[in-house]
Amino acid sequence: MNATADFYTVQPKDAPPEMEEVRKLLAANDLELDDQIEVFVVCRQKGHIVACAGLDHYTIKCVAVAEDARGESLSLALGSEVVSLAAERGQYHLFLYSAPHNLPFFRGWGFYPLVEVPQRVVLMENSPVAIEKYCESLRVQRRPGKTIGGIVLNANPFTLGHRYLVAQAARACDWLHVFVVKEDASSFSYADRFALVAAGVKGIDNLTLYPGSDYIISRATFPGYFLKDKGLIESSWAAVDLLLFRDYIAPALGITRRYVGSEPFDPVTKSYNAQMKDWLQQAPSGQPPITVVEIPRASIGGVPISATEVRRLLAERDFGRIAALVPATTLQFLESLLPVNNTIQ
Amino acid sequence: MKLRRSMLFVPGDNAAMLSTSFVYKPDSVMFDLEDAVSLREKDSARLMVYQALQHPAYADIETVVRINELNTEYGLKDLEAAVRGGVDIVRLPKTETAQEIHELETHIARIEKACGRPVGDTKLMAAIESAIGVVNAVSIATASPRMVAIAIAGFDYLVDMHTRRSTGWEPELFYARAAVLHAARAAHIDAFDVVYGNVTDDEGFLREVQIAKQLGFNGKSLIHPKQIDLLHKAYAPTEAEVSHAKRVLAAAEEAHRKGLGVVSLDGKMVDPPVIHEAEMALQLAEAV
Amino acid sequence: MKVIKEAIAGTVESSDLLVKVAPSGKGTRDIVIRSEVMKQFGKQIKKVVTDTLDKLSVSDGSIVIEDKGALDCVIRARVQAAVLRGCGSQELDWGRLS
Repeated sequence: MNATADFYTVQPKDAPPEMEEVRKLLAANDLELDDQIEVFVVCRQKGHIVACAGLDHYTIKCVAVAEDARGESLSLALGSEVVSLAAERGQYHLFLYSAPHNLPFFRGWGFYPLVEVPQRVVLMENSPVAIEKYCESLRVQRRPGKTIGGIVLNANPFTLGHRYLVAQAARACDWLHVFVVKEDASSFSYADRFALVAAGVKGIDNLTLYPGSDYIISRATFPGYFLKDKGLIESSWAAVDLLLFRDYIAPALGITRRYVGSEPFDPVTKSYNAQMKDWLQQAPSGQPPITVVEIPRASIGGVPISATEVRRLLAERDFGRIAALVPATTLQFLESLLPVNNTIQ
Repeated sequence: MKLRRSMLFVPGDNAAMLSTSFVYKPDSVMFDLEDAVSLREKDSARLMVYQALQHPAYADIETVVRINELNTEYGLKDLEAAVRGGVDIVRLPKTETAQEIHELETHIARIEKACGRPVGDTKLMAAIESAIGVVNAVSIATASPRMVAIAIAGFDYLVDMHTRRSTGWEPELFYARAAVLHAARAAHIDAFDVVYGNVTDDEGFLREVQIAKQLGFNGKSLIHPKQIDLLHKAYAPTEAEVSHAKRVLAAAEEAHRKGLGVVSLDGKMVDPPVIHEAEMALQLAEAV
Repeated sequence: MKVIKEAIAGTVESSDLLVKVAPSGKGTRDIVIRSEVMKQFGKQIKKVVTDTLDKLSVSDGSIVIEDKGALDCVIRARVQAAVLRGCGSQELDWGRLS
């Protein structure tokens, strides 16, 4: 039968001609093309692409509808198509980032707001209860005590610096909850990073280690395409991640302190840490403030231990210098990455 | 006599249309499980149609389900849903031989028995969508006592014929229309003309309706509710035709009263087919 | 029937509903419904959903529904479709679907 509107998918990596039209449509809506998008749903009407929505794993991005095609039924059909596409790809729990004034549009798609950074961005998910269910699963893990700590680690890979931070925090708290960021944009896969953290914190008894959560937002997951200014992107990412921590994760576990290692090198992380104090301690919130404790990085010979440095040394096969920076379990893993004759693949 | 002027196509996976199509009062509503439904949604649409068939709002409208072809993984399941859901007519797409109708019949009888529906209750219609279908139209139309209608589906047929739609008298469809019509009349069943896909062109639609009507088609397959009224009005007899029909029927009644074997009007004999035509004209007039 | 994997059926379009099913992980059945007409029809929607699940003997699963004003017959169909997809079931037991 003839359909007046035609929905189909395109893959950006195939560089189909559609992508030029999609770019134009996004630009007309003041959006840039996010290069992490794996697949787009597009709607063609009378020969033109009038609507699009992109999917990057479980995040919906780059949603745009041409001004003269804006009508409720097209937008709802677009939402239905992208949700069905995601389901086909095995993704049932979906997130999206939107400018706050578009919140009603996405409510129509069955998405519910989680946290909002006023005038900047609202994070939404496609369930009215998923966050509550997640918090419920966390609450089961609560521990008694006045001082409950929380740490979020990327650990790419786990170093003695990380070990030091965790040990210091555990010593100062009745209990410590440690989360590993789930994201495969790092040099080492999430599975490997998590295994190294688990091995590296053995022996610290007042600690619970958590696998990564959909509610801890890595910088790589956060889309910057609708906030043109780079500074704005960094601060918005930090805000969203920290608000989730403050409004949901911390209250569920009763966390009163968040520990973080001082960041002398990476500007993105440095900025994130600075904002931590804003969002966790000072910003108005329905939840109690969380004290941010910044612990000076462990150093070897006056140089702060850094995972970046470990990765650099790995590229040079300098296991001698690496051994001083990482626990034995991490060293073993790194050595196993290179074959017996130690040539880099 | 069941009027079959308008057969409204409703995509089986479209909740809004399934929920409202009865409002437009087409003569028949056809729930489509075939071309209108993506492969991914076949299972869901089947259940939607199964449920919609049993909705009280559709109790008074003739229901049709276009199943997928029986040689697909969907066809038989669609058939189960349709028959068990109480559909009036099953529409077989891309019908090419009488054998396909026989095969369909066998399955339907089995399902009717299994679900307690009187055997023979479910009717059939065939859609002719290819050259083979056209040349086999007569054997298809007469293949079963369940057959109540035969339709020509323009899009696929024209692809098969290596040509395309034109305007004017549409020569590319002439033979197929004529063949399907003759098959319908020979089999004493109804004939449906092609879908008119351009829903924004009312004039073009009405031009095509005139062709169909003049050729003798009972009705047309429609893809938009607004086409229903346009079609019904176009099929309505003129006032002159209506008054003539009334006079014919009055003459027939009088002849019957007087016990006369022959009906005459204005000095001329009126044959039974003419009386039948007059009855149809009045029915059409009343149904607008 | 047991929901063994996540599945969805339906859409967020007007007069439709989106049904998401998933294993509950705790041997219970929990139904969450959101609707634009929650006040007027929330109870009715819940009833239709529950009846449909009961007929399919689904005692274990998490069901989340986003309703956009769907008729009962549409609710039934979408819940059935989602459950059948979530149970990985190909065969239809028509006795359970009325």
